[in-house]
Amino acid sequence: MWRGLWTLVARAARGPRSPRPCTRQGSGVPVPGSGTTIFALSSGHGRCGIAVIRTSGPASGHALRSLTAPRDLPPARSACLRLLSHPRSGEPLDRALVLWFPGPQSFTGEDCAEFHVHGGPAVVSGVLQALGSVPGLRPAEAGEFTRRAFAHGKLSLTEVEGLADLIHAETEAQRRQALRQLDGELGHLCHGWAGTLTKALAHVEAYIDFGEDDNLEEGVLEQANSEVRELQLALGAHLRDARRGQRLRSGAHVVVAGPPNAGKSSLVNLLSRKPVSIVSPEPGTTRDVLETPVDLAGFPALLSDTAGLREGAGPVEQEGVRRARERLEQADLILAVLDASDLASPSSRNFLDTVVAPAGAGSPNGNSQRLLLVLNKSDLLPPGGPDPSPNLRPHLLLSCLTGEGLDGLLEALRKELAEVCGDPSTGPPLLTRARHQHHLQGCLDALGHYTQTKDLALAAEALRLARGHLARITGGGGTEEILDIIFRDFCVGK
Amino acid sequence: MFSLRNCGLWVAASLTKKRLTLARFSGDSAAPLATKFDVIVIGGGHAGTEAAAAAARCGSRTLLLTHRVDTIGQMSCNPSFGGIGKGHLMREVDALDGLCSRICDQSGVHYKVLNRRKGPAVWGLRAQIDRKLYKQNMQKEILNTPLLTVQEGAVEDLILTEPEPEYTGKCRVSGVVLADGSTVHAESVVLTTGTFLRGVIVIGLEMHPAGRLGDQPSIGLAHTLEKLGFVVGRLKTGTPPRIAKESINFSILNKQTPDNPSIPFSFISETVWIKPEDQLPCYLTHTNPKVDEIVLENLHLNSHIKETTRGPRYCPSIESKVLRFPNRLHQVWLEPEGMDSDLIYPQGLSVTLPAELQEKMITCIKGLEKAKMIQPGYGVQYDYLDPRQITPSLETHLVQRLFFAGQINGTTGYEEAAAQGVIAGINASLRVKRKPPFVVSRTEGYIGVLIDDLTTLGTNEPYRMFTSRAEFRLSLRPDNADSRLTFRGYKEVGCVSQQRYERASWMKSSLEEGISVLKSIEFSSSKWKKLIPEASISIGKSLPLSHL
Repeated sequence: MWRGLWTLVARAARGPRSPRPCTRQGSGVPVPGSGTTIFALSSGHGRCGIAVIRTSGPASGHALRSLTAPRDLPPARSACLRLLSHPRSGEPLDRALVLWFPGPQSFTGEDCAEFHVHGGPAVVSGVLQALGSVPGLRPAEAGEFTRRAFAHGKLSLTEVEGLADLIHAETEAQRRQALRQLDGELGHLCHGWAGTLTKALAHVEAYIDFGEDDNLEEGVLEQANSEVRELQLALGAHLRDARRGQRLRSGAHVVVAGPPNAGKSSLVNLLSRKPVSIVSPEPGTTRDVLETPVDLAGFPALLSDTAGLREGAGPVEQEGVRRARERLEQADLILAVLDASDLASPSSRNFLDTVVAPAGAGSPNGNSQRLLLVLNKSDLLPPGGPDPSPNLRPHLLLSCLTGEGLDGLLEALRKELAEVCGDPSTGPPLLTRARHQHHLQGCLDALGHYTQTKDLALAAEALRLARGHLARITGGGGTEEILDIIFRDFCVGK
Repeated sequence: MFSLRNCGLWVAASLTKKRLTLARFSGDSAAPLATKFDVIVIGGGHAGTEAAAAAARCGSRTLLLTHRVDTIGQMSCNPSFGGIGKGHLMREVDALDGLCSRICDQSGVHYKVLNRRKGPAVWGLRAQIDRKLYKQNMQKEILNTPLLTVQEGAVEDLILTEPEPEYTGKCRVSGVVLADGSTVHAESVVLTTGTFLRGVIVIGLEMHPAGRLGDQPSIGLAHTLEKLGFVVGRLKTGTPPRIAKESINFSILNKQTPDNPSIPFSFISETVWIKPEDQLPCYLTHTNPKVDEIVLENLHLNSHIKETTRGPRYCPSIESKVLRFPNRLHQVWLEPEGMDSDLIYPQGLSVTLPAELQEKMITCIKGLEKAKMIQPGYGVQYDYLDPRQITPSLETHLVQRLFFAGQINGTTGYEEAAAQGVIAGINASLRVKRKPPFVVSRTEGYIGVLIDDLTTLGTNEPYRMFTSRAEFRLSLRPDNADSRLTFRGYKEVGCVSQQRYERASWMKSSLEEGISVLKSIEFSSSKWKKLIPEASISIGKSLPLSHL
């Protein structure tokens, strides 16, 4: 499902290093960075007094004026206090420091503006939405500011070396965040829409490539048209309703996982200082994912307690295990809990092999997940610690019962979370939501062009554009996907 | 694909043979065959002829080696060129001064542009071609190309030498060894051997190893390539039976007439050689449940279908159509093979049943009740080389100065082969001159889409062009192929004639003039609305498609 995104990133990453021979771009190729103006939350996510939102592109000045109306642009490169208000509704958003950097003397080389606003989620979300409503502005893609800086010669070659890695890392963070957002109703909706749209597009493409002298069934185009109309209605309804329904899942996602009865729920209760989960000596007590927002060493985090990972239990527990694995995928940090006195048992060893080892080694495409290995029940150990195991990675000893080792764990958590939350691109889910909304609106606009256009080649282009917008949310959308549907649904060729 | 010879073609072959004694040396003055060339092209099919002609146009002394000169320009499968996507490729080949479009304008018997009701970006130039005429005209062209020598001979091996250290690759090709043991040296070698690598013809349960009837397969060459470490895959394809024209009852079938006027394939053809009223019609008929029955009852006699080798999804045999889409009527187009040919090509009826069952199946079809089968349909299985082993200039990563083009790279179709041929020929020549390669990007043409798909993704079925593969479909139109490629071909490579360059320049300046005249007309949006009520004019907000 994320292949489309990956190729996109791979292309973005490859771009500057080995420019493709496209000296003749007269044929309508969109040049990256030309024309559009991008915006993003640039400061770190976490507990902060000030958040910095940045724009880059030709409409930056216009955006700045729109939000600070009726005042004019501040003098270049000096901080001014301004009242920010929504350009459409006039609703005041925040009193903020704004900076104006006319190009080329700016970070990206383009016109840039910075808004230093108060760090609360409501303010940040309000300003981001206000910027999104200014014509010509759209949310930035991963690494786009850096790319533009490179394109305008603002970064040296050595700095560019890190570019691919940077984009990769940022995209990985975005991917995890998007996964989180897509987990649930919106995800189902988007995938459903993408499926419908891909099929409609495939049928239109089939009609173009094979309609003339192959016998496609009657009404292929009509059916695609009616599917597009239904999609328009559904998207329109959703966009009008977009502010409700999605739960805000802010903070780093910390997932507690381990084999059954390792003491995961005890650890969750200990960290959250309240009895979130039922604890019992019986394996398989926790069957669902239990979430609780906590303050971990000063960072906001969403702590998830999961079912113990084991095979062969009853159907309810198996579902719990499935959900646990799904949650692990989306985790920013995994707290892997094992029973220190039971390291040799099959379930412990299996857990070490399948969860702990891969996270440490990094998956084949190079994204390693952060993981802290906690050996619980240290109170049951004989003096001298657990059996020395040569393969065991660095770990922390803890006793949830006595509280011994908790300080060490909190210190380790602080370090890890600082890394996770300090990543400037991770951003709050708000930004992800703004992206979703942007692409859904783009999709809807393109569908409108499809229904209005008479030239079928132009109409299909609008449909491709619509599919591209959805692909930014759901992934996929490649040619092969289209061809697969064509050859599955039609008997074409002679 | 191969052609089993038939009477019609025999005549053509013996006719051209006579001219051959002259022809063999005719390309390049009257000197005896040299043993050193700039470029050697192996194979005289659609990729080979384009490659050889392109290399010669670029100024390289070129040798075309083929098993038999009388098969140069043979259309071994369908008697047609072009179509949706394929017509785009032909226009691009033509824009680089390639041959096939011009030859088609001299050899067609039924010209028709597909998709005329859709936008001009997806129009598909297409024509039924007279096999005999095409071959004659192609041979005339090839044998009269300056700097190009044609020689008959089977290539047994490649001559390999030390690699040039500044390039990648473990060795460098410097010539070929022929079956008689003689050697010919060259700076670059282009391999366009089509289905010759371990080709097998299948009819029913019979399998004939390799080659056209009477021709040796290229065993030595296949061995050499394998030893060098090239990754080989296997593909299959098929061709329908041929039917005697006079045995068909056309009067009860749907007739399709050609376009009037005919649209030529080539930018430099004012018109095609034949008037619309003199062109031949095509006819349409359909399969029926009786055909399904014969196919399904006899699957056990059909080894080609059972094989796991991948065939094309879009050019399926009647067997796979029946299996995958049962209880449907499938189209069969009855296409003429040529002006004076007494054969009809039933497009859509590709089949590998035993011959007697093929005839039985044919006679179940409306209009073909009394049809006489002249030659059975058959399947072909062959080796191809994973195209991820070649660069976008079609040079192999493993062997320096060795280029692959055509079916050997896993494609199907004359047009796909021709497109690769032009690019391979140009680059083989540029390599000799130590100039940077000529690469067409995905944004510039279907040729770029084709080569980029092949060299980055590879293929596991015979690759065919569709417009849906092109991301920039709206800009890559058949009508603007000259503005996309002719100037590059002229300035960067020198493969384009002065005459074509001037024509393209004239067209370009005329278009620019027209556009500037149109742009000079400015009215308010309400005035436009009054003048053209049906146009949708958006105010303020920019259209997402405006950049196109």
